[in-house]
Amino acid sequence: MNNFRRKTKKQAVAALGLLTALCLVATQALAMTGREIYEQVHALRIRALDRQTTFTMTLFDKGGTTRSRTATEYSKKAGEAGYKVLVVFQTPPDLSDVGFLIHARTFADRDLWAYFPEFKRIRRIPTTSQDDSFFGSDFSYDDFGGPPNLDDYAFTLLREEVQEGRACYLVEVVPKIQRKWSRYQAWVDKELFVHRKIIYYREQEPYRIGTFTAIRLVDTLPTAFRMEMHNLKTTHRTEVTLEDIRYHTQHPDELFTQRALERAGR
Amino acid sequence: MSFSPNGRWSGPADSMRPKRAGGGPSAAIIPALACLFAFLAGTTPWVNATEEAVTISGRLQLSADYALDRASVQGDPELNARLILDDRRTAWDLHAWIEGYWTWTDDDQQALAVKYFDRVYGNESRPLDLKELYGERRLAAIDWRLGLQRIAWGRLDEFPINDLFNPWDYDRFIVKPMEERKLGVPAVSATLGREEWSTQLVWAPWLVPYRLPDAGSRWAVTATELEPDLPARTLANGALGARVQRLGEIEGALTLFHGFDPRPVFGVRAGDNGLEPVPAFHRITSVGLDASAVVGPVSLRAEAAWTGNRTFNTRRELWPAPLPAAGNTDLTDGIEVRRDTLDYGIAADYRPFEDGLLTLQAQQTAICSRPDTLYEHARETLLWANLKVDWLNQKIETNLNLALNPEHAAGMLRAGIAYVFSDSWKTSLTALFFHGPPPSLFGRYAMNDQITWAVVYRW
Repeated sequence: MNNFRRKTKKQAVAALGLLTALCLVATQALAMTGREIYEQVHALRIRALDRQTTFTMTLFDKGGTTRSRTATEYSKKAGEAGYKVLVVFQTPPDLSDVGFLIHARTFADRDLWAYFPEFKRIRRIPTTSQDDSFFGSDFSYDDFGGPPNLDDYAFTLLREEVQEGRACYLVEVVPKIQRKWSRYQAWVDKELFVHRKIIYYREQEPYRIGTFTAIRLVDTLPTAFRMEMHNLKTTHRTEVTLEDIRYHTQHPDELFTQRALERAGR
Repeated sequence: MSFSPNGRWSGPADSMRPKRAGGGPSAAIIPALACLFAFLAGTTPWVNATEEAVTISGRLQLSADYALDRASVQGDPELNARLILDDRRTAWDLHAWIEGYWTWTDDDQQALAVKYFDRVYGNESRPLDLKELYGERRLAAIDWRLGLQRIAWGRLDEFPINDLFNPWDYDRFIVKPMEERKLGVPAVSATLGREEWSTQLVWAPWLVPYRLPDAGSRWAVTATELEPDLPARTLANGALGARVQRLGEIEGALTLFHGFDPRPVFGVRAGDNGLEPVPAFHRITSVGLDASAVVGPVSLRAEAAWTGNRTFNTRRELWPAPLPAAGNTDLTDGIEVRRDTLDYGIAADYRPFEDGLLTLQAQQTAICSRPDTLYEHARETLLWANLKVDWLNQKIETNLNLALNPEHAAGMLRAGIAYVFSDSWKTSLTALFFHGPPPSLFGRYAMNDQITWAVVYRW
């Protein structure tokens, strides 16, 4: 009887130990909060701000026809929490030399301009348009901007999941500011801290799904060479393929002026 | 000579059009610019000589108007070809933009003749229009541009107040986008940038007159084609301008212009039929301000300008209504008055929903010490509303445009829809309606309600 009790006690201690160990592992895995995960994502995006990217954007409508746009994005970090971005289209013909300029004084405070050669005039764009379609695509202007202001969002780590064979944090992001989506759920690569997948919601309905694949290290920065955004409402989708990317570029400030916008970055 | 039922001149306009022998000063501009081009291309060092450094793009547009008023002058189906060449192989970037307009039935057209740069009338038989031809040198702090160019100043749509360097081609001007109405002028411009400041200086040594549609054509605004004697091409008759702009929360610019008023006005001169209205050119001085700012979801734009010595016609019925057939003995030299004006306007761009853009614009011209004989009121107002909506990820584009001139109960409504087949092909259908008394801005085209179909290929 005593032997049985001793044996049971040992088993209980072992089970408790195992449980404790499991809890410790689990606690370690969930040690990061949603905010901390996004601070990592944010830090990476800031490191990636000095760059030049050439990309092709292909639009697929539900009838199967495609249209494509090619563009170059120039980007530069400006100060502690600011950045500048210039995007210039090369094709199609009616978008050739159309440009889009961002001056972000801070991550929360930015000015946007667009230039249309057909009108020879630069127009200011309200930041409330940041969620609008980027030149007919399923991406938004914001998708081509710099990192957001983290304080404008609430982050909640939901769980961990494997996405496309990679261990990911599943984080829910809810805006505290006015956006045209109510929340999104993002699968953030546990090792690389880049997005693998995002589902945007309007109210409770998912309406846009983004996937980020062909992730490769370029100058130690993980970079998705293929991005797809699928609009569930319209069944329209857009694929962005990076043709070329260079980091640590040191673009002059003159590249991010209205003069440069008018001359398509030349 | 006779008048068409819509009251427009339908006689043999050619009989009244002064025939031109030789090229004259206009013909000299193009060879001069071509030589400048060749010089710049031949003498500057080659940089970045890549294949992409030369680009050729263009557009072919086939269009046909259906006149809703069958009694009005009919338009012809037209082929419009645009060719834009950019050569960036040298330190001087070279840019050329040429357009051609060929109609089906105009037998007078000279297939490769370039429109005049020194004549107001007689351009319809010359299909080629040289819009731009310039060389540009970009340095770190300053950009130089030499040649035939269009300057875009001001911020309002359709009738910008401070955009005074380039006269307009008034043939169908109201159905064309604003930049396509503008005529290139030979000029030297320099743009300097320093941090948030930017300054542009422009000198246009030669006057290029506005173009008016030939009498008897669908968009004619005069019954006669009396060609004016242009001011001498001397340096004293050039135009000068400066624009200083500063970026910031509120983006603002100060504009100065001294040169000939690009807006059409008429004097009188003895013609074949007695005294007839003839296009006139008068110098003005204009000081303007413009600004833009973003307020919440609205992008605001505003402009104002004081203009000294602007000329108005006391006999506004001369334009566009036809004159009596002969012997305009009631015309005197006193049909022009000069007054200072204050123009001001504001526009707001707002996206009521994704892929929708609503633009509202209001502008006024206040005429100082307005004489009672003027058709224009002491304050002339122009209201614009434009709603552009893209559907199915920009496969379908719709546009609704309403313009009002309340002082004369005149207005215009334009509704268009376009379908984008591919990156290059697009087709569109546009309906256009005018209303108002004949001398008013929109009422002068009251017989020109129409539906236009177009198919466009871009490359």
